[in-house]
Amino acid sequence: MSPTSAAPLRVRGMRDLLPDEMAAFRKLEDAFRDVSSAWGYREVRTPALEYLHLFTSAGTLSPQLLDRVYSFLDWDGWSGERVVLRPDGTIPVARLFGESARDLLPARLAYVQEVYRFATGDQPRSEWQCGTELIGAGGPLADLELIAVGVETLRRCGAQAVRVRVSHAGIARALLAAAGLGRAEQVAMYDALLAGDRAAVERLGALLPGALSAAVLLDVAEAGVGYVTNLQALLGDRVPGLAEPLAELRTVVETLDRLHVDCAVTPLLARDFEYYRGVVFRFDVGEADVGGGGRYDGLLEFVGAADVPASGFAFDVPSLLAAVRIEPGGPLTVPLVVERDDPATYAAAMAAAKRLHRAGVAASVMRAPAPLPHLVVDLEDPARPFVLRSDGGAEREGDLGAALARLERLRR
Amino acid sequence: MIRIALPTGDMRRPVAQALAGTPLDSPDYAAGSRVYRLGLPDRGDVTIRVFRERDIPIQVALGNYQLGVCGGVWVEELRARYPAEDLSPLFPLAVGRGRLAALAAPEQAAQLGPLEEWQRFSGLRVVSEFGNLAEKIVAHLRLRRPRVYAVYGGAHAYPPEDADIALVHLGEDQQSPDGLVEMASFHESGLWVVANRRALAGLDLGEALASLRPAAAAVEGGLRLPTVAQSLGGPPLALERPERPAGVRLALPDGHQQPHALASVRDAGIELDGYGDADVQLRPRIAVDGVTVKVVRPQDMPQLVALGQFDMAITGRDWLADFLACFPDAPVEMAVDLGRSRYHIAAVVDEDLPATTVDEALACWHARGRRMIRVASEYPNLADRYARQRRLGRYQVVPIAGASEGFVPEDAEILIEGSETGKTIVANRLRVLERVFESTNCVVIHRGRRDDPVLQGLLERFRRGVPATTAVT
Repeated sequence: MSPTSAAPLRVRGMRDLLPDEMAAFRKLEDAFRDVSSAWGYREVRTPALEYLHLFTSAGTLSPQLLDRVYSFLDWDGWSGERVVLRPDGTIPVARLFGESARDLLPARLAYVQEVYRFATGDQPRSEWQCGTELIGAGGPLADLELIAVGVETLRRCGAQAVRVRVSHAGIARALLAAAGLGRAEQVAMYDALLAGDRAAVERLGALLPGALSAAVLLDVAEAGVGYVTNLQALLGDRVPGLAEPLAELRTVVETLDRLHVDCAVTPLLARDFEYYRGVVFRFDVGEADVGGGGRYDGLLEFVGAADVPASGFAFDVPSLLAAVRIEPGGPLTVPLVVERDDPATYAAAMAAAKRLHRAGVAASVMRAPAPLPHLVVDLEDPARPFVLRSDGGAEREGDLGAALARLERLRR
Repeated sequence: MIRIALPTGDMRRPVAQALAGTPLDSPDYAAGSRVYRLGLPDRGDVTIRVFRERDIPIQVALGNYQLGVCGGVWVEELRARYPAEDLSPLFPLAVGRGRLAALAAPEQAAQLGPLEEWQRFSGLRVVSEFGNLAEKIVAHLRLRRPRVYAVYGGAHAYPPEDADIALVHLGEDQQSPDGLVEMASFHESGLWVVANRRALAGLDLGEALASLRPAAAAVEGGLRLPTVAQSLGGPPLALERPERPAGVRLALPDGHQQPHALASVRDAGIELDGYGDADVQLRPRIAVDGVTVKVVRPQDMPQLVALGQFDMAITGRDWLADFLACFPDAPVEMAVDLGRSRYHIAAVVDEDLPATTVDEALACWHARGRRMIRVASEYPNLADRYARQRRLGRYQVVPIAGASEGFVPEDAEILIEGSETGKTIVANRLRVLERVFESTNCVVIHRGRRDDPVLQGLLERFRRGVPATTAVT
């Protein structure tokens, strides 16, 4: 049935991927799978439906995001328990680990999955993510491995100007704790600092011991390893709990320098302050933020594995596709055209298509008319059944390979 | 034509007072007329339609009405789930103030402590007439594995046996009912004037707004959600709850179903104290050993029985069918058809629609350019199933809370409605297109309690009591 009104049939905010877009998507996906596999990550897939409470109680999603999840009572949801269309990739993988993969420690798991979050108007309501989770390995070495997987994937995709911004969630955590704020107040203060609220900076400074200025967190947007050294000198022994985060951050930054990865230190980076516990990072391609992640030790408490360290990252596939402009490429399809409707011609055309497929050439059978140039399968002269038809006329060929070579030349 | 939605029920009087003397003052509205559509003596370009309060934000958001007046809490209830709807709250009126309060029984309130600590407990059960707001609040409070029961009403009757926390709307000076403790208030407001966002942007509503503006009050209150930590950590705690009474728990209905249920109980020779023609107590006493009784809304009974909170209940087959249309695997089933409160659930259309079948009706609507068929009903799951089974094509279920006969034809093409005599349908210039099924009152039970001897004894008494004149063959 054809549409009878101008109203769009596609749900707002959802998108179709056309063949060229899909080919580019697959290339990116293949690059991610190749690289993550080379680093020992094994692909998993989790269901689109999960219980809502996994996401509400684990503290992974901000209140703003929780307001945008697709949750509903399932057909058997009479008990009042809601399910949700997966709004995030990490929690389902953590659940999978807790329920089915504990013996894999350390677990290197990768996924390519769609996540669903409501957005207004035509903003996307679903996003594809390529992500990895490293469960059971902690410390800077694990963080560096994840960053390496990300950078190598970006380079494999042909990305130019790859940059990694790094921070450590423990810095803000230690400063806010030293200010004597309760947990809820810490969250509010962190959000204010992240938003660049100068009044919050002054308020925090007044609360810190020894009249420290919190401005060091905001006055430096991006910096190098020297900044970390300066923070160590300025705050390291005066704020309890700050020495270790700074040392970890310094290790990561110095190692990335040695690996010639363009890296910048950003004091406040991750929005989900309570979710991340250690090093956090974002990947930039040029000016575009294409994904990121970090250490979320403690998150696995909800599957009874609070003491298992864990970290991960994910690429936002649409952002990455826009940033790297992958050419879809792919083989051209050879059109094998039949102009007579009889079983012998059909069979000859199908047999020719199979021969091409075996040779690794894409070919499809179709009825005339078809765009020029194309190959016609015509048994009028059984010794020379292939007719190459182009703007310049028609020529018979007895050999499929020769006809194909000439078709390719014409196409070029 | 400017279309304005005003509330019926308790809010009718304060709204009528607020409109008194303005160009929107309708004598019929103030007098409490049962007519759903009201004109204004001097304003042929204004139509007033009376709705249940909870339907007004939906109707205004859909664009069926440009302006409406309803409680701010109902506006938030819609926006909690559908923040992008075309609904603009304009200004509050100085009447109808109240608060959305969290209530708990004293023993549970003492354990729960302050709001910020509630996330220490796993599996808290929250009940509310405001299901969307309840979902938003429990997510915001980061409760662990909560259960939210969205009920039609009477949420205060649930704690402590059937829920831990009830989110209940209380009037400004209303105290916490039934000995419950008020632990928090999440929303405070009075009535609000609301507008459809597109209408506000494109239509001249100036005169109507100027009529309402003098009754405006200062903006205050609104939704207040406390800031809580994302996770307090530590092992989850279990709330200590009163022990479930031994024996069988029976739920009886209030409202329109009560006289029929009372007759069925009497037919069965069961004596009740506190559930009579004139009085209804929350927990009536029953003269049957091993049975306890509670009064709840009949609409909520199938879910309560499925959850195991009651072993049996007297409700309508319509509400059972609506529940099972949504949750077909739920362990609740009809055990005895009591044969009273008999009426047909029917698909109702405008009496002028030149159609005798659904296919003919669809052809008429399509010929008029209407592609989206709006199906209004107090039974949203039955309406959804009906629309699927009758292959209505592109359709929209409009859930409604009441005052249903006024929806067709302006605000819906089809109404899925219960009708005992058909008189109300005819009086509202409507017509039954086809009957969907016949509803009667019935005893429903939890599937897992079929073999309980006390329950079996009660069922036998109900079976014997069904009068021959009402028995369904």
